Amino acid sequence: MSGSKPPYDRPSGEDEDDDDDEVEETGYKTVKDAVLFAIDVSASMLTKPTGVDPRKPDAAISPTIAALRCAYALMQQRIISNPNDMMGILLFGTEKNQIQDADAEAERSGSSYPHCYLLTDLDVPAAADVKALRDLVEEEEEGNDLLKSSNEEVSMANVLFYANQIFTTKAPNFSSRRLFLVTDNDYPHKSSRDARNSAAVRAKDLYDLGVTIELFPISHPDRGYQFDRSRFYNDIVYSSTPSDPEAPAPLVPDIKPASFSDGLSLLQSLLSSVASRSAPKRALFSNCPLELGPGLKIGVKGYILFKRQEPKRTCYVYLPEDGETPQIAVGKSELMADDTARSVEKTEIRKAYKFGGETISFTPEEMSKIRGSFGEPIIRVIGFKPIGMLPNWANTSKSTFIYPSEEDYVGSTRVFSALHQKLLRDQKMGLVWYIPRRNAVPVLAALLPGAEILDPETNEQLLPPGMHVHPLPFADDIRQAPDTNLVRAPDAVTDAMRHIVQNLQLPKAVYDPRKYPNPSLQWFYKILQALALEEDVPDLEQARKADKTIPRYRQIDKRVGKLTQDWGDVLDEEFRKWSEENAASIKKVSTGASKRSQPPANGERSTVGTKKVKQEDGEGITVADMRKAHEKNLVGKYTVAQLKAFLQSNDASTGSSKKADIVDDVTRFFESRMNIE
Amino acid sequence: MAQKEATVYIVDVGRSMAEIGYGRDKSNLDWALEYVYDKITTTVATGRKTALAGIVALRTDEARNEYSDDEAYDHISVVQEIVQIQMPELRGLRHELVVNGCDIGDAMSALAIAVQMISKQCRKLQYQRKIVLVTDGRAAMDAEDMSQIVKKIREDNIELVVLGTDFDDADYGFKEESKDTVKAGNEAIFKRLCDDCDGLFGTLAQAIEELGIPRLKTTKPVPSFKGLLTLGSLEDYPDTAIGINVERYPKTMVARAPTASSFVVRADMAAGEVTQSSATLVEDGTEEGAIGANTNGLTSVKNARTYQVADEKAPGGMKDILQEDLSRGYEYGRTAVHISESDRNVTDYETSSGLEIMGFVEKGRYERYMDMSRANLIVASRADEKASMALSSVVRALYELESYAVARYVAKDNKGPLLLLLVPNIEPDLECLYDIELPFAEDVRSYKFPPLASVVTVSGKILKIHRNLPSDDLMDAVSDYVDSMDLSVFGKDDEGGATEYAPPDETFSPMLHRINQVIKHRAIFPDEPPPQTYEILTRYSTPPSELAKQSQATLDRIIEAGDIKKVPPKARGKRGRGGKRDQDKPLSDLDVDALLAADPKRSASSKKISDDNAIPEFKQLLNKATSSEDIIDAIKQLGQIVKGWVDNSVGSSSDDRVIEVLGVMRRSADELDESDAWNEFLRGLKTKLLGGSLGGEKRELFAKLKWKRLGLVDAEDGEQKNFWKMG
Repeated sequence: MSGSKPPYDRPSGEDEDDDDDEVEETGYKTVKDAVLFAIDVSASMLTKPTGVDPRKPDAAISPTIAALRCAYALMQQRIISNPNDMMGILLFGTEKNQIQDADAEAERSGSSYPHCYLLTDLDVPAAADVKALRDLVEEEEEGNDLLKSSNEEVSMANVLFYANQIFTTKAPNFSSRRLFLVTDNDYPHKSSRDARNSAAVRAKDLYDLGVTIELFPISHPDRGYQFDRSRFYNDIVYSSTPSDPEAPAPLVPDIKPASFSDGLSLLQSLLSSVASRSAPKRALFSNCPLELGPGLKIGVKGYILFKRQEPKRTCYVYLPEDGETPQIAVGKSELMADDTARSVEKTEIRKAYKFGGETISFTPEEMSKIRGSFGEPIIRVIGFKPIGMLPNWANTSKSTFIYPSEEDYVGSTRVFSALHQKLLRDQKMGLVWYIPRRNAVPVLAALLPGAEILDPETNEQLLPPGMHVHPLPFADDIRQAPDTNLVRAPDAVTDAMRHIVQNLQLPKAVYDPRKYPNPSLQWFYKILQALALEEDVPDLEQARKADKTIPRYRQIDKRVGKLTQDWGDVLDEEFRKWSEENAASIKKVSTGASKRSQPPANGERSTVGTKKVKQEDGEGITVADMRKAHEKNLVGKYTVAQLKAFLQSNDASTGSSKKADIVDDVTRFFESRMNIE
Repeated sequence: MAQKEATVYIVDVGRSMAEIGYGRDKSNLDWALEYVYDKITTTVATGRKTALAGIVALRTDEARNEYSDDEAYDHISVVQEIVQIQMPELRGLRHELVVNGCDIGDAMSALAIAVQMISKQCRKLQYQRKIVLVTDGRAAMDAEDMSQIVKKIREDNIELVVLGTDFDDADYGFKEESKDTVKAGNEAIFKRLCDDCDGLFGTLAQAIEELGIPRLKTTKPVPSFKGLLTLGSLEDYPDTAIGINVERYPKTMVARAPTASSFVVRADMAAGEVTQSSATLVEDGTEEGAIGANTNGLTSVKNARTYQVADEKAPGGMKDILQEDLSRGYEYGRTAVHISESDRNVTDYETSSGLEIMGFVEKGRYERYMDMSRANLIVASRADEKASMALSSVVRALYELESYAVARYVAKDNKGPLLLLLVPNIEPDLECLYDIELPFAEDVRSYKFPPLASVVTVSGKILKIHRNLPSDDLMDAVSDYVDSMDLSVFGKDDEGGATEYAPPDETFSPMLHRINQVIKHRAIFPDEPPPQTYEILTRYSTPPSELAKQSQATLDRIIEAGDIKKVPPKARGKRGRGGKRDQDKPLSDLDVDALLAADPKRSASSKKISDDNAIPEFKQLLNKATSSEDIIDAIKQLGQIVKGWVDNSVGSSSDDRVIEVLGVMRRSADELDESDAWNEFLRGLKTKLLGGSLGGEKRELFAKLKWKRLGLVDAEDGEQKNFWKMG
């Protein structure tokens, strides 16, 4: 395979139903992640903190237990968020040597690893793993036997080679394999250079195998002990941080040592360190350049930043007759010819369309020509528009994030940066012709600039800087609106509603997705976990309390209760008037539909004109627009006809005909409104 | 339910239709049929049993119609009664609608027959009735009874379309020079006819041109939700809660292209017979109606699913289980959680349907890239005027305050809640809320990327000048280019005024219409290659040329200042893979190579790769290789190890390890220009895998290699293709 074709790609036609399958970026690799925790069980790691508030038992845990709890939390989380990814836990420095099962030992060429104990073998976690881990971290007696450190120093070379063997056999061909090493010992094999050197060699093996070592160091400030990477671990870790101080810093800096003063704070700091490492970044595509203009392509990679997490689908389970544990049945599908029931190879398949009671077929060559007739993968800029021109409804699915890559085109980053800055500054967007993968259905999309968003408190990046490819609908995708009998709200009703809106903003008047976990997804996994671990069924009331999507009824009542009543009264009154005025022209319909309908009170004379469809030009000028003009003293820029129409549609017309008078009327209209507010 | 339709096409097949008009490459009949077939196949494609059509041929040699005894109705043939047209009927038409040798035949009589056919089919039922007449207008007509026909057409409410080859049309801007007088007369008559019954009279060229403009399928709006839009709790705070009766409808919904089904060549057909021509052959009749049977030598493909569970005792470690012996459950990690039929809903979170406002946000603080879904629209319940007024106040208040609402939406009881962004929309006749789904916490991935406007160094310095940052020249050039490529006023409206270029409602789904086009074309012309793509489908695939031309100079400035260098594919591999991790040494400057050299097992003299540490040792061996022989030897060694794995493996247990190692080998061979050694090894491996000398036949593994594209290096396409053949 040579030439301009990307070296690894999916076979053509493989992804005809172009959905969001995450296409593998690394070609032959399986896009999965395997994390092996290696937790130090030395005497100091097992020492509980002293002087801890006895009312906080959680604070009195040892570093090893804190690390195990961290692993436990990650395991539970990954079962939900990364159901196909693997995890394992290896204890080192233990008195016990035994490997979990004898077969595995034999398989690993008979080598033994003294003072290493594989607590959880590297695999997709099973309920039993979660349970065992839970018992270990919650009931300490359970672990006493296990969590005992050896008197003899464990060989780090052995630990690393054991990890090597675990990854090699249990997670072959994974695109991401990571060893999370938790220890408070910055200088193992203090007295043996040879032992340190062997460890360095085994670390190099891991590196060549494609395993990343993430070090989670622990310091003991109470003993004046500060973890020093340079003593040993800088020989072991192949960091992403370049040694050149002038080089750009990597976005995920090396993990700073966590200080052990009490177990809880250590756990918190471990959890946040782990969280910063928990999601390996996976590109959706890497061979779809951004074409800024004819003859100017730059390299970008696509990522999925937003994707709906769904509860798992049901699967088939086999219940053995002897009542043993249920087993997951693996479905295997085989293609079969309908006439003879013989099995069919993929290469034999012909595609045909049902048409007129028969099928219309094309040769595979024709098919790929037809599907590929719109060209190679590309994000091609057609031109630019103000972002304001993107209609609110113009969306068909979620956006794809793109970020520059120097891999195919050197210099991409600077050009992308210039475009990004320009679009952000001028609030413009690109209109792009977008084919993310070969044979994918082409769409038009808006190229939206996204600014970097940092957490104001922690300064941590919440949303990365880059651009978002936001798919647009074609005319074919736009549905007709249903016929409606529009009754426009008179201003009195709208005004009343405005007060409600103004008094019921979400915090900071912004939607922050991080504040809203998906309640049904959370519930689903709680139940599933309870069933799997044979725990008590969670409490629905508790779940409801945690459900942030349920409106805060009490607060709504308190904050806008009076205003909603006002609105209801105004609505009743205005609607009564409207009904009277339209009695002749409309058919009587039940208004019981509106829950707040109360018997209309006899009120003042209607200020609401019957709002037949207005054809005046002024229809286009909204109150908001006019308000802006008013505030800038620019009401005069509109034509007399527009102003008249505006006044009429807002029932503020006094019948003036001179422009100056009409402008005055508009001014009065706003001034009187402001008094109300 | 769409309305029932009955259309009769009258096609002139007289001798003069064989003529080829000026500037065209086909006969007038073929040209006319382009239009007629397009219309008919469009109807066929809908698959609707209630969309019927009939076809009348005019100026046929013989006469086949009810009144053929009457001389006035001579040379008119009903070639197809009104039915739902399917493939057999289409094939029939291909036989019938050919140029006849006949000069005479009265179009008025044909019209009368068409009217009669419709009347017979539709009686007084609800139908959309239509007659389309396509002719060159060269035969004499008797227009005496025209008023009768007009009367009948008007009475029955039939839509009439008359299209003529090279008819004059001032609106379209066509006038035929030195027109035949008969034709001129006929054109006048047709014109009057159409005027009299509100029909459409036009020249064929225009109609054909318009075929290139896709027709939009309209879908009747169906509400996806009917219920209350609430603020507050009607249950707990009945005095202060608001409830408005609303309905929710789709606003955008991607119209998908038809999907192809899978077929294979039927067992009783030789492969060659089918692959030679992908034609739709004439049906043999015997298999009509048989499920899955197909008329072009193909049989459909079924997906047969079998289930297996792990069983140590079974051969291969798996045993087959019948589907009826399985129950439902979920996976928790790799554990099966059985959920009995009666507990089916235990995982459902209890909710009640509704649309509840949670609060309001500022328009300016919502980022459009958070849009998670297609859009819907929410309107007040039909016939509830008070709800309409109430919703209008919400829409208007939001609009005036430049705010959006965030709402919790539960479509049905016990469905999971979704969060929706409610956006106000005001049009002259429509006030509604558009809604789009918002992401939950779990839906956002925290991928981090470096800032784009500055570079932060390892030592914490913030750089504004760096090779990854644009120079002022580049910044300016890009800025000018963006301004120059402005589309906001590049389009033209109907009056020629400046307007937005390519708004969504003027763009058409390329794949949808392309696939429909080729299917329809193949249905009629089974032996011809697919036709050209309509221009409108690719119009927006490139910048408008005028704009691109005027922006070329600024683009050149970007190219100059940006100095983009394409990385050759080979180099890319080296940089992208090997170089990805910057340097092959740990954080410290420890000389690991020296340590490796000192390791007795890996010293320079020993070049043995161990089985349990194969990849690292292979890479290390290559790293210190001094000659081509060293590399070839390493490849051979690793190859030997891989073969051992395959040989000793049970089922597919070692496949992933094998693929991983082969991936490393192949890439190394490619990068180090030792493709021959790899190719030789791979060919040998193929023979062994398919020949069964490595612990049985391993076709599945070979198929995996193909899927993973672990093929020959530097091979021609044909050679590669040949390599992947299993035969």
